[in-house]
Amino acid sequence: MEQPPCWQCNKKYTGLFCAHCNALQCPVDDYYSVFGMERKLSLDVQALQAKFYELSRLLHPDRFTRRSPLERQYSLEASSLLNKGYRVLRNPVQRAEYVLKKEGFDIGEQGTKDVPPELLEEVFELNMALEELKMGDQQARGAVEEARQRFAAMRDEIDRELEQLFQQWDEKHERATLQQIRGLLNRRRYIHNLVTEVENVATLSN
Amino acid sequence: MAYSQKVLDHYNNPRNVGSLDKSDPNVGTGMVGAPECGDVMKLQVKVNPQTGIIEDAKFKTFGCGSAIASSSLATEMLKGKTVEEALAIKNTELVNELSLPPVKVHCSILAEDAIKAAIADYKRKQAAREAVVAQAQ
Repeated sequence: MEQPPCWQCNKKYTGLFCAHCNALQCPVDDYYSVFGMERKLSLDVQALQAKFYELSRLLHPDRFTRRSPLERQYSLEASSLLNKGYRVLRNPVQRAEYVLKKEGFDIGEQGTKDVPPELLEEVFELNMALEELKMGDQQARGAVEEARQRFAAMRDEIDRELEQLFQQWDEKHERATLQQIRGLLNRRRYIHNLVTEVENVATLSN
Repeated sequence: MAYSQKVLDHYNNPRNVGSLDKSDPNVGTGMVGAPECGDVMKLQVKVNPQTGIIEDAKFKTFGCGSAIASSSLATEMLKGKTVEEALAIKNTELVNELSLPPVKVHCSILAEDAIKAAIADYKRKQAAREAVVAQAQ
């Protein structure tokens, strides 16, 4: 995306600051661009953190108290974008959801068809066992723990698949890959909610 | 946001909770789920094969109040209907009867899907049985 010229000296630049007069620019509403990174799904979280600290210092509103009102405003906006962006980008699931949104996918409502029937059976059985455990039937504990492990393993498996698809998209930028990612994220959300629910019930009934 | 009286009624006194024998050839089982909210719904119908009338319906739903109410109401509506009449039940009937707000419409869609899945399962079983009978003759 072509950046408009610097608001202060009207020269071309790239990045957050003008290369000619060093004025802070109006931040582009995109987490990757605040971090000065390409839109990639695989990302080194440690490098991201280092970049986050570095930019946090550079963009901190305290550094702009003697600058123009416009730059003070930009530093606030950029800092807030940076913080939000760090929270989203460091988490693989949120990062993928963000990229899907930016690439024009609607990630809200999903039909029921994305849940395979055999998974539904398992989910149903797990819920039955959870209900028994909630009602104080300690015999259900074994079944619940078994189910928790099974679902946690499923989630790990999905995470591995996601990692591969992330790399695939970074290399080829094919929409079909994003479609697959979207399907996996749905399944993951479903399973993740279950694991969380099981853990809650297991703690409460201890 | 408050639930309507009818939702609360079905939630507090759900009708026809339970299960029917899955292996009975006259029983159709529908299992559906919504990944976004983690709901899962099982709905079963027992059909008289001579008349094609649904004689019993049971459900078990894990989910929010609206999902429970939608499936509870669905089982009430199913009893006494023919299989074809049951397939004509629309989620909008559930929405109107329960006064579901727009954000809960998907619960009624789930219930409609469950009805369709249960009847499809029943029909599948009947077709399989007829095939066996035809083969024996």
